[in-house]
Amino acid sequence: MNVVILAGSLAYRRVLIMEEAAGDLKQALPNEYDSLQIHVEVHQRSNSAAKTEEIRSHVLKLLDRHSMVFGDYTWTEFDDSFLIKNVESVAIVDTELKLKDRQPIDLNTCRLSVHIFHLNEEGPSTENLEEENEDLVAANHWLLPSAEFHGLWESLVYDTEVKSHLLDYVITTLLFSDKNVDSNLISWNRVVLLHGPPGTGKTSLCKALAQKLTVRLSYRYRYGQLIEINSHSLFSKWFSESGKLVTKMFQKIQELIDDKDALVFVLIDEVESLTAARSASRAGTEPSDAIRVVNAVLTQMDQIKRYPNVVILTTSNITEKIDIAFVDRADIKQYIGPPSSAAIFKIYLSCIEELMKCQIIYPRQQLLTLRELEMIGYVENNISKLSLVLNEIARKSEGLSGRVLRKLPFLAHALYLQSPTVTIEMFLQALSLVVDKQFEERRKLSDYI
Amino acid sequence: MDAADRQKDVCLQTLELTGSSDHPPVVLACRKLSGVQQSEGCCSVSVAFSGLVTQESCCRFTCELLKHVLYQRQQLPLPYDQLVYFYQRPCQQQQADELFQKRWCTNLAESKKCQRILAELEQLFGHLETLFSLTLVPRVLLLLGGNTVCPRELYEVNMEGIKVGNGEQSLKTSFCMQKIFRTLFLADVFSDLQSPAIMGAMLLVQGHRDCGIDWFRPKLAYKEPSCSRRLAINLSCCDMTLAPALHEAAASTFQDYIWFQAPVTLKGFHE
Repeated sequence: MNVVILAGSLAYRRVLIMEEAAGDLKQALPNEYDSLQIHVEVHQRSNSAAKTEEIRSHVLKLLDRHSMVFGDYTWTEFDDSFLIKNVESVAIVDTELKLKDRQPIDLNTCRLSVHIFHLNEEGPSTENLEEENEDLVAANHWLLPSAEFHGLWESLVYDTEVKSHLLDYVITTLLFSDKNVDSNLISWNRVVLLHGPPGTGKTSLCKALAQKLTVRLSYRYRYGQLIEINSHSLFSKWFSESGKLVTKMFQKIQELIDDKDALVFVLIDEVESLTAARSASRAGTEPSDAIRVVNAVLTQMDQIKRYPNVVILTTSNITEKIDIAFVDRADIKQYIGPPSSAAIFKIYLSCIEELMKCQIIYPRQQLLTLRELEMIGYVENNISKLSLVLNEIARKSEGLSGRVLRKLPFLAHALYLQSPTVTIEMFLQALSLVVDKQFEERRKLSDYI
Repeated sequence: MDAADRQKDVCLQTLELTGSSDHPPVVLACRKLSGVQQSEGCCSVSVAFSGLVTQESCCRFTCELLKHVLYQRQQLPLPYDQLVYFYQRPCQQQQADELFQKRWCTNLAESKKCQRILAELEQLFGHLETLFSLTLVPRVLLLLGGNTVCPRELYEVNMEGIKVGNGEQSLKTSFCMQKIFRTLFLADVFSDLQSPAIMGAMLLVQGHRDCGIDWFRPKLAYKEPSCSRRLAINLSCCDMTLAPALHEAAASTFQDYIWFQAPVTLKGFHE
């Protein structure tokens, strides 16, 4: 009974907050959103063969009926029988990349771009370079948009505008290619370098970006391809062969780029192993074969950059080890650090939401977002109590990486709860304990080293 | 009246006019249409039938060619039908084939791989039969290695020139099959290639958008790849009737013929 009242009063409260905000905004910014671009991603069912135009018109009708939204929103249930049959979900996405706060958006006044896509269900295929060595996989190759990366973009939380920067970067790249900007006068290399401590989601961000862009640009490219190069496989046991392997790999990539209908992403993880600083070799610590690899990578990248439909994504933990000539070539050198407490709060919130969906945390209780907490001035009452506890835990967890954070709910359950369903109060308690334990472990580890 | 009905109607009317397919001009025209063309990394074999063909026959052609390619490209150690014969009989009945059994049944891992691919192929053939009963199928692609947009090898069965008839007025399946395989053997298309590794095999078929098949996955944005070694097997009918060929029958609704992908990637095995 208590719960129902709580949820009811919360809903009422939310409506009040939103209406207030909406009213304020309408007065303050009457024409602000005239040119706001809203992206709508429509996930077509895998067995649906309906025409794109037909789906588009039905989706537009749906959006016409629900023209007022607050930030991102996903529809998975429809009244329209056509949509039920053909569409998995309709999602308004990435509004928070453009609008800092959750605001009401009137879709009628926005430019809507509807992206309709099918997911490819098959996993990655593999590429081998050396004929005699069949087991050694030189690269994994995904056809995008892939079911494997669905939802990855949304699960990545960053404080700074990393995501929008990356999106805007590629959009500009395409614009420059379209307008035939002379690349001798203004040069851009289509290389992105993400660096930062381990576990902050650099590789995931690369994959998610590739997926996102494939969906966004589906109107001009039929599909995307993501090639993840295993850099260690490019080093041959034969002296002087490594450089040739790199060339061979890029030749394969070249074949893919030649298809004008494909948007090709080349992902080189831990790029420092391919482009170790050549200066180190002067000190005699790098064999000369490694220098050839760096040279081969650099020349091949210069070859590739002429083509408009390719983006090279690289990640690294140890930036100072990378050859300066490579760092120079990267257009964007984005640092990705550990999440702030606000981002941690968001991550925890999404974890708890998932556990409530799976009914491991039961009964379901609504938690406030950080923005809503801010609005009510962090005052403790029945509605905000749990959220304030979570905020406290988030603050305490600062310094942990995204990879660790995503597994804490699991550890909390395994170490302190163990029962098939728990209340949210119990869960938060366990989460708090497991965060303490995490720091404890870290301290011990550094003590022994 | 839909396209298929209309087509059958035309067939019935015209067959009476031209009589049987032994008609000399027909045979001559067939000879002209059959043949092999070869260029670098790309080979095409054309087979022309001297009469109409049923949809069921087309389905059989596809399945048999599929089996043939898998065996010839060494994705299967024995022809499909032999594998079925040796694996799907209960083991104790195989005294006569004792030697054989020893060789094949002892290796458990191999036997499991074999069971799996046989089951997958059987399932695939079943669904192909359903598909052919629901829609005209102008083209079928079998892709080996890589992924669907950039496979290593591409085998195409092109049936755009086929004229579909009903059971009585059409040529026998076995007769056509002989003709296809005779042409293939003469063309000698599988001999010059190196022994390949095990590659994933994917199947794409072209069919009508609204045919209502739900096992195959529609691939609306699919475009056939250009970057691979390819073999095209063109089947056609040079029947002197007015019956429309598949591509003519489908012409009015050409936009509605889309690619469907079988949701399995077949993985063969070496012995």
